[in-house]
Amino acid sequence: MSGLDVDTIAAVATPPGMGGVSIVRISGPAAAGIGRLLCGAPLKPRLAAYRSFRDGGGDVLDEGVALFFRAPRSFTGEDVLELQGHGGPVVVQRVLEACLDAGARMARPGEFSERAFLNGKLDLAQAEAVADLIGAASVSATRAALRSLTGSFSRRVDDLAGDMLGLRVFVEAVIDFPEEELDLLGDGKVKERIRQLHAELATLLAQCRDGALLNQGIRVAITGAPNVGKSSLLNVLSGQDAAIVTDVPGTTRDLLKVDLVLEGLPVTLVDTAGLRDTEDPVEGEGVRRARAEAGRADLVLVVCDVRNMRHASFETEAAGQIPTIVVANKADLGDFETGRIHESETAVCVSAKTGAGIGALIERVKAVVGFHDQEEGFTARTRHVQALREALSALDHALVLGSDGSPSELIAEELRVAHDALGSITGTVTTDDLLGEIFSTFCVGK
Amino acid sequence: MRHPQHYDVIVIGGGHAGTEAAHASARFGARTLLLTQSVETLGQMSCNPAIGGIGKSHLVREIDALGGVMGKAADRAGIQFRVLNAAKGAAVRATRAQVDRVLYRNAVRAFIEAKSGLDVFQQSAVDLIVKGGCVAGVKTQAGIDFSAPAVVLATGTFLGGRIHIGMDNQPGGRAGDAQSNALAERLRALPFSVGRLKTGTPPRIDGNTVDFSVMDVQPGDDPLPSMSFLPEPHPRQVPCHITHTNERTHAIIESGLDRSPLYSGAIEGTGPRYCPSIEDKVVRFAERTEHQVFVEPEGLETSELYPNGISTSLPFDVQVELVRSIRGFERAHITRPGYAIEYDFFDPRDLHHSLETRTVGGLFFAGQINGTTGYEEAAAQGLLAGLNAARLVGGSEPWCPGRAEAYLGVLVDDLVNLGANEPYRMFTSRAEFRLRLREDNADARLTAKGRELGLVNDARWTRFDAKRLLIEEIRARLAGVRLHPDHVGGRRFEQVFGEKLSRDTTLLETLKRPAVEIGRLVEFAGFPFTVTERDDYGAALAQLETDVKYEGYIKRQDEEIARIRRHENMVLSSELDYRCIDGLSSELRLKLTETQPKTLARAARIPGMTPAALSVLLVYSRKLDASG
Ligand SMILES: Nc1nc2c(ncn2[C@@H]2O[C@H](COP(=O)(O)OP(=O)(O)OP(=O)(O)O)[C@@H](O)[C@H]2O)c(=O)[nH]1
Ligand SMILES: [Mg+2]
Repeated sequence: MSGLDVDTIAAVATPPGMGGVSIVRISGPAAAGIGRLLCGAPLKPRLAAYRSFRDGGGDVLDEGVALFFRAPRSFTGEDVLELQGHGGPVVVQRVLEACLDAGARMARPGEFSERAFLNGKLDLAQAEAVADLIGAASVSATRAALRSLTGSFSRRVDDLAGDMLGLRVFVEAVIDFPEEELDLLGDGKVKERIRQLHAELATLLAQCRDGALLNQGIRVAITGAPNVGKSSLLNVLSGQDAAIVTDVPGTTRDLLKVDLVLEGLPVTLVDTAGLRDTEDPVEGEGVRRARAEAGRADLVLVVCDVRNMRHASFETEAAGQIPTIVVANKADLGDFETGRIHESETAVCVSAKTGAGIGALIERVKAVVGFHDQEEGFTARTRHVQALREALSALDHALVLGSDGSPSELIAEELRVAHDALGSITGTVTTDDLLGEIFSTFCVGK
Repeated sequence: MRHPQHYDVIVIGGGHAGTEAAHASARFGARTLLLTQSVETLGQMSCNPAIGGIGKSHLVREIDALGGVMGKAADRAGIQFRVLNAAKGAAVRATRAQVDRVLYRNAVRAFIEAKSGLDVFQQSAVDLIVKGGCVAGVKTQAGIDFSAPAVVLATGTFLGGRIHIGMDNQPGGRAGDAQSNALAERLRALPFSVGRLKTGTPPRIDGNTVDFSVMDVQPGDDPLPSMSFLPEPHPRQVPCHITHTNERTHAIIESGLDRSPLYSGAIEGTGPRYCPSIEDKVVRFAERTEHQVFVEPEGLETSELYPNGISTSLPFDVQVELVRSIRGFERAHITRPGYAIEYDFFDPRDLHHSLETRTVGGLFFAGQINGTTGYEEAAAQGLLAGLNAARLVGGSEPWCPGRAEAYLGVLVDDLVNLGANEPYRMFTSRAEFRLRLREDNADARLTAKGRELGLVNDARWTRFDAKRLLIEEIRARLAGVRLHPDHVGGRRFEQVFGEKLSRDTTLLETLKRPAVEIGRLVEFAGFPFTVTERDDYGAALAQLETDVKYEGYIKRQDEEIARIRRHENMVLSSELDYRCIDGLSSELRLKLTETQPKTLARAARIPGMTPAALSVLLVYSRKLDASG
């Protein structure tokens, strides 16, 4: 094999939150073993088996179809296991975690395709596509990761990594400069700092796992003139009757938020009051809020009636720097008046009533926010959580070592491992970075 | 005139890199010439009179394990030995020897002269003979030409040297060596990138004018440590002393800063951050009211002292005043002024891991010329360059240990990949796999390899093999003693060690516990004399104990190392245009364009690199390979 890694990777292979079947895919040498562990018995290659999926403790998590493909006759060219369950996002997540506990590692974005490519499972034309996909994926994964976790998450990881560097400076300086009269932290102080880092990391991790830091996704505001079908669009996108729809213009008065996942992209969809001048103080306030919402959204959907595109250009200008998609609604009722649309924009034609064009609209939304791969968002978070866990377990060890009188280079080793784990989120920290930090902190050298 | 003797390898320079290179080449069996400006200065220590220290002693042990000279010479010349970090774990313990310069030179010269197949010739090299992109020999000052298909250049800081004392500066090599300008000009004409570095030395002091009674005494260790696996007898031992600068010293330094070449801009080279001049320390760490000065003897037969810690390029009048402000130095006479020296070096990123240059076949660079500082760093490179020069001539593949095998591997890998932004010195924190790279297991890591490479003689091999077997025997004996919590043996163990046994175990397993020391454990086990009286018994115990105590960590690193090895084999296409890869952050694109990593493993060590970015690189590179 010529891949980057020889370990076993896992990920949810279906867009989360889409209902119906959800697939966890595992690829790598441990796939067969993981299958045996979760399904209770060995799986025969290429035979669908209906099984219960159990975690390490034997608890049933879900049931469904397990499929095993033996290398090289699989899509990645490695042993591949697919667990198709029926549970919702929480259940899938637990099945995935059971796989991770059984020895798999969270896949990077595009890593299944990457392995397929590196194992010669794809021809050159496909290979080009994979290269582009992976290139794009790693950029959007960074964005997706930021999106899937709130800004305060990355800030806190950065802070943690910074504190870790600060602590390692002391621990390493003691080792490399024993003859210097450095203003060092005593052993007790080092232990104290490790304990602090440990506590912060544990809190962060718990919050991540609770979903407290799980961002509700990008904010998409639906705006436009009254009665063009904004609320109807929200209902069809969210698959629920969340908003009141009537043929009376000015039905929606206040903001209405719905959290949903659009083919893997977490989104907060906000319906707003139709924009018009009005004497009604309640509606007037609604219009004000609508404009404010459009100003702070990550993406604005400007809805127009396909038969009357007059307002399109005006509203897109109003949206200013925020990416905008013009949605020409009620396509079932008439023709698309292209002439009225601002020339730099193109509209997506949909019918909230029949559902026509909605798929194209979702594609457009994903393209505009740079979301390419369904593996992302969700998994980016899981990978980060896994990295935090690794860091935490290293700090666990460091704490034990700190109290049983073990030598400092072992504590230093645990800190290195923890720092590297954080570095997989924030970027590699080299020994030269570390030395540079030591030299600027201390007066060392004869 | 052409010298009648044809050589396989010519080494230019008789310093620490050159002597080690010549010796290694000859050990390998290559007919070797060592060309030096002066036979008297073979193995000369131009800076502080000490060998070893943190990170550096690890290199010395590795050189020694590969049959090199430095460890044995340090044993013969060391006049004070200490183990640093003795209270910490084995991986970071380091031996340091204060060395008598004359004894050291004598020892190195004796080893060089005793080596068969190695000739020494006193002449300045003035030119390289290059034919068809490959080196073919060396021209010397007196017009004598030597021919050889491989040349190791180990000439130290001879390139563009400039010495600064206050505002005066003059061209010159270190410690008054004559400059070999012709060779320097020749090298400049070759396509190597050149950088500029700076280093400094303190003023030397006549010990007869120093009051030691007011200083702290720093005696050597007892029992007396050694540097070599095959220890040489040590000479008479003497203590070092420690004194401190004070606020008056700092005021004197500040008043002289306007005449400091460092602060007036006369010096452009980059000095090491870990070895700042005293004026640097005073300026950068203004809050400190004192700095340590280690008062080191230069030798047994001289009263001259090396005051380690006050390297300076301030004007001489300021030097006198600052020295005399220090406790114990009130009446001190300076025998040689301190100075800063700037010099050119060749960017080591132009080298292969074998230390052969990329541009001229058969030409190897070793030592300070590559931007390193320190005798140990120089010697380690010398050994590698000498070996690989000889291997090249013999038609063998080059050899270089990996980062997980030796500090030597870390050193070369760092140089070749990252270059030198300041004089490169070894630290243990440079080694990610520090727990494996210990002083005490340098023999276990490298002797077998050295034997295979033809560098290790029978005497060393026999003794090493015996030690290895001894360790195995002790391990087997300890693993053979089972303890049951409820049986007599188990209860006795609990009593003796104050440790609880929760289940059946072996003595070997109990050794993993921090509180269980191997010395007491073997006592508990009661080994026969046939074991305890063997050579290296103590060393064997120590090595086994550390191996066992570190076992969990070592295993965990194995995975990481296996991954790095695989990544080392993944060559990145040289046609990759990093600027066009969308999947990388603009910062990474810039760094990659700058570093042009040859393999994925090297790319992985670029600061800010992420796993995702690595897979982007691999895929793009394979795509290029596939379409190319
Ligand atoms: N034929 C057809 N009718 C639609 C479509 N979308 C919405 N409508 C109808 O248009 C009317 C207004 O729809 P709403 O969704 O309430 O419009 P709105 O933009 O939210 O209106 P306000 O909240 O009043 O600003 C309703 O009668 C809908 O049934 C469509 O695609 N086709
Ligand atoms: Mg509405």
